[in-house]
Amino acid sequence: MYRKQVRRRRAVLTLLILGSFLLLTITYGQTSGGSVQRGVSTIFSPLQSVADRALKPARDLVDWFDKTFEARGENSDLKAELVTARRQAVAGQEALQENAQLRKLVELDRNPPLAESAYKAVTGQVIGRSPTVWSSTVTVDVGSGDGVRVDDPVISGDGLVGTVASTQGGSSQVTLITDHASAVSAKVLPGGVQGLVRPEIGNPEDLILDFIDSTKQVHGGQTVVTSGWRAQGLSSLYPPGLPIGEVTDASIVTQVARQQVHLKPYGDIANLDLVQVLTEGSRG
Amino acid sequence: MIVTPRIFARLAVAVVLAVLLQLSFFSRVELIHTNADILPAVVVSLGLLGGSMTGALAGFSVGFLVDCLLVAPLGGSSLVLLGVGYLAGLFRERFDIHSPLLPPLICMGLTLAAELGFGAVQVMLGLDAPVSPLIVRDMLLKSIYAFFCAWPIYFGLRRLLRPALVEEPAQLTRRRQPTVLGARKA
Repeated sequence: MYRKQVRRRRAVLTLLILGSFLLLTITYGQTSGGSVQRGVSTIFSPLQSVADRALKPARDLVDWFDKTFEARGENSDLKAELVTARRQAVAGQEALQENAQLRKLVELDRNPPLAESAYKAVTGQVIGRSPTVWSSTVTVDVGSGDGVRVDDPVISGDGLVGTVASTQGGSSQVTLITDHASAVSAKVLPGGVQGLVRPEIGNPEDLILDFIDSTKQVHGGQTVVTSGWRAQGLSSLYPPGLPIGEVTDASIVTQVARQQVHLKPYGDIANLDLVQVLTEGSRG
Repeated sequence: MIVTPRIFARLAVAVVLAVLLQLSFFSRVELIHTNADILPAVVVSLGLLGGSMTGALAGFSVGFLVDCLLVAPLGGSSLVLLGVGYLAGLFRERFDIHSPLLPPLICMGLTLAAELGFGAVQVMLGLDAPVSPLIVRDMLLKSIYAFFCAWPIYFGLRRLLRPALVEEPAQLTRRRQPTVLGARKA
């Protein structure tokens, strides 16, 4: 009797392991998910929306505690940053005035890159997030019914956060720029040094601008934006000029030896709540 | 564990609730830059309560649901979670759980094992980016959070599944002595 039970137990375990490998083999490489995943996701997305709204006060409470402890340490750093930012703001205002005058002069008064490339922003709320540190995806409550398509860029108020990986009627899965599968063509401003923004798994506060031209110097504090290239019928998934982050570590050694610099994303990737999906735009 | 239709329904509700709570709450709140992952703790608790088969099946189901909702390659999370569920169940079948500290400690250890397992699956499927040493801190913190989350999870699930637990001592469920009509007090 006991032996029979053990045999049955082993058989079920073997079956489950084989089933897992079979599922992995079948679904590996499918970026937008199979019909089973889409079906389950469609059924559960309203439940996720309800759970998200119901649990928001509890989330905010935990966030408040976390932020309060963190804010104490950041206070002195922020004061120093504020002084620098004020100086930069004054310089920025002057530059804006000068820019407007120059635009009038050469009749190049265009709209910002987003409006120019005819993107339509669809606002969505994050209703789910991947639990492990090995992948970085979120679920948002807008889907194909709202005009969202696979590969549409996703932004927050601070800058680029990711792209749409798959979409259903009322929800979409977004691969964040901190996910191991993400790679964004970008350039450093000012200077225009081009590179590829890749994540460092396990550290969402740090991104790597890889494959840069080591003969050109990049400095800490410089802004990194999407390059939005277009060549020979191919184009980037992202419109040009979307802010990604600020260069934090640009030592000569890493620039020359590894052809990379480190940057901190502008978007608060870990605490995303509202995002915008840029739909219907021309790529690049 | 004696799985009747009612117990099966309770198990299904627990699994779905755990997954929804994880994706909508625990994955989105951070303490010391790391969020808690309660799913390994739920699977381990079910394994400790119901045995290796319950643990493995619960792990497979939880993993399948998570992969479906995140549109990740199906089977990755299932493989890892069925492993930890099976190990927890095997522990329960071989050893007695005397101390109330033991389930949270097992949850802690197996959560760390699950995080390593998720990493192994990710490496197996292809990792396109460098790995930060901070990932070790994240995994350790997740296992510590699992220790604290395991208390309410394990004891909550034990309460939910009490009618099906075969080894639950009768004196725990019925603390008062039965009243015998007509008997004299000693």
